[in-house]
This record gives sequence, structure tokens and C-alpha cells, in this order.
Amino acid sequence: MRKQDEIQLGGQLIAMIDVIFQIIIFFVCTSSMQDSSRDASIHLATAPHAKVEEGKNPLQVEIEINHRGRLTVGRSPLSDSELYAVMRKAIADSRPAQVPVVIRADGRATHAMVRKAMDTCTAAGIMQVSIAAFKEKGQ
Amino acid sequence: MARKRRHSEWQAGELNLTAMIDVAFQLLNFFVITVKPVDVFANLDVFRPQAEKVITKQEEEPPPMLEIMVYKEGYALGKRPMELSELDHKLDKIAGIDKGSMIIIKCTGDSTQAGLVSVLDLCAKNKLTKISIFSL
Repeated sequence: MRKQDEIQLGGQLIAMIDVIFQIIIFFVCTSSMQDSSRDASIHLATAPHAKVEEGKNPLQVEIEINHRGRLTVGRSPLSDSELYAVMRKAIADSRPAQVPVVIRADGRATHAMVRKAMDTCTAAGIMQVSIAAFKEKGQ
Repeated sequence: MARKRRHSEWQAGELNLTAMIDVAFQLLNFFVITVKPVDVFANLDVFRPQAEKVITKQEEEPPPMLEIMVYKEGYALGKRPMELSELDHKLDKIAGIDKGSMIIIKCTGDSTQAGLVSVLDLCAKNKLTKISIFSL
């Protein structure tokens, strides 16, 4: 009777560990998928004193600019006029809340490249933007 | 006969923990080796006012402001060129007097984003939050 209980307990333990591993694998896979929405080739400048980015706002628009000046939103390359249209739509969708705009520009990009994105935001009616940087760089 | 049957029941119910622990450690090793340290991102909030609005504002009442220039080769406070460490010292002094001071950062077209972020980081370090960016 005692041995039977041990056997039953052993079987349950294996099933539980199996489920735990499944959950771990799920989290590992989904966390890497989140990163894929950002361009990995962009090397942000480091700002150790800046405030840490808190949970991503669903209304947030992230404008990425690589070191060659290529402008993308959600990994889709956009022209200035297309970016303007995206920003106008974002403003219309988020009313009355303000659209949080984050500019993720490569540290090597010149200001002339970043300026285009900033000017487009201003023209669309967005006066406040955030500039993304590394607070702490992983290896 | 009865003894034999009881013995075979015992064998079927044995739990081999060693193999399971072995697999668990293999998985643990795999995750430790493959998982990359996470990058911590930060956001630096700035204002990007429209040029014509700034002109009218300046005509009305010019608020106390500090002008930082970002060039390709370096930085300047007003028109005085200076190193980042000196700029940090100056910003520290200004923050000591008034943390609400308006900071205007003017960037040349050939200056890098890293240069701008360095200045913004110094402002964040000294708790100066009213920052506007202009392009030259």
C-alpha cells in the first residue's frame, strides 16, 4: 500500500516537472519574439543616468533610424510622407491621449538623419518625443 | 509463483530519478549558455518645438535658458567650447540653483546621435528635465 502511494506520487512528480519545462520553454520562446519587433542592427548610445523604460504603451510609436539613415516603423521602411501619415493616424486613434513617440536612432547616425523624423513628428503635431538609449548594455 | 508476481510489480513501479535529474541539469546548462543578458533601455524625454512658435514666444517673454551646442567634434555651452566633464560640472551648478531651468540643445547636421544622447544623459544626471532640441 505504501509502495503504491510512492509510485503514484512519482508519476505525478514527473508530469509536474514536464509541465514546468513546457512553461519555461514557452516563456523563452515568447520573450525572444518580443525582441524581434526591434531592429537588432541598431546600436543605441549609452545613457546610464536616464530613466528606465517602463512597460511599453500600446499606443507608442517607435521610429527606428539605423546608421545609414534608413527610417523604419515596426521594421517597415517608410518615406517622410508615409511617416507623416502614420503619425496623423496614430494621433487620430489615440485621442484624447497623447501619442508617445520613441526615436530609436543608432549612435552613429548623424543629427541630419534624425532631424527628418523629428521634423515629421512636429509637423504632425507631436511636440514631445523620447530618445531611446541603453541604460545598461547586455553582452 | 505468487512471490514472483509481487517482485515484477515492484520493478514496474520504480522511479528512476537519476536520469530525470540528469536531463534537468542538461536543460539548465543549455539555458544558462544560450540565454543572453537582457539590455535595459532608457528613454530621454525632449521637446521639439515648432520654429515659428518659438520665435513668437521669444518675442513675448524670453524665459531663462541655457544653450548647449552639439558639434561633430565636441560641445559648447553658449559659445564657449568645452569637454563633457566640464559641461557636467556646469550643469551641476545650474541644477543647484534651479532644476526648472530651460535647456536648449542645438545640434549641427553632422553631429552624431551619440553626442546628443551624452548631453541628454548629463541633463538626466543633474535632474534637468525641461529640454528642447533644435537643429542647425
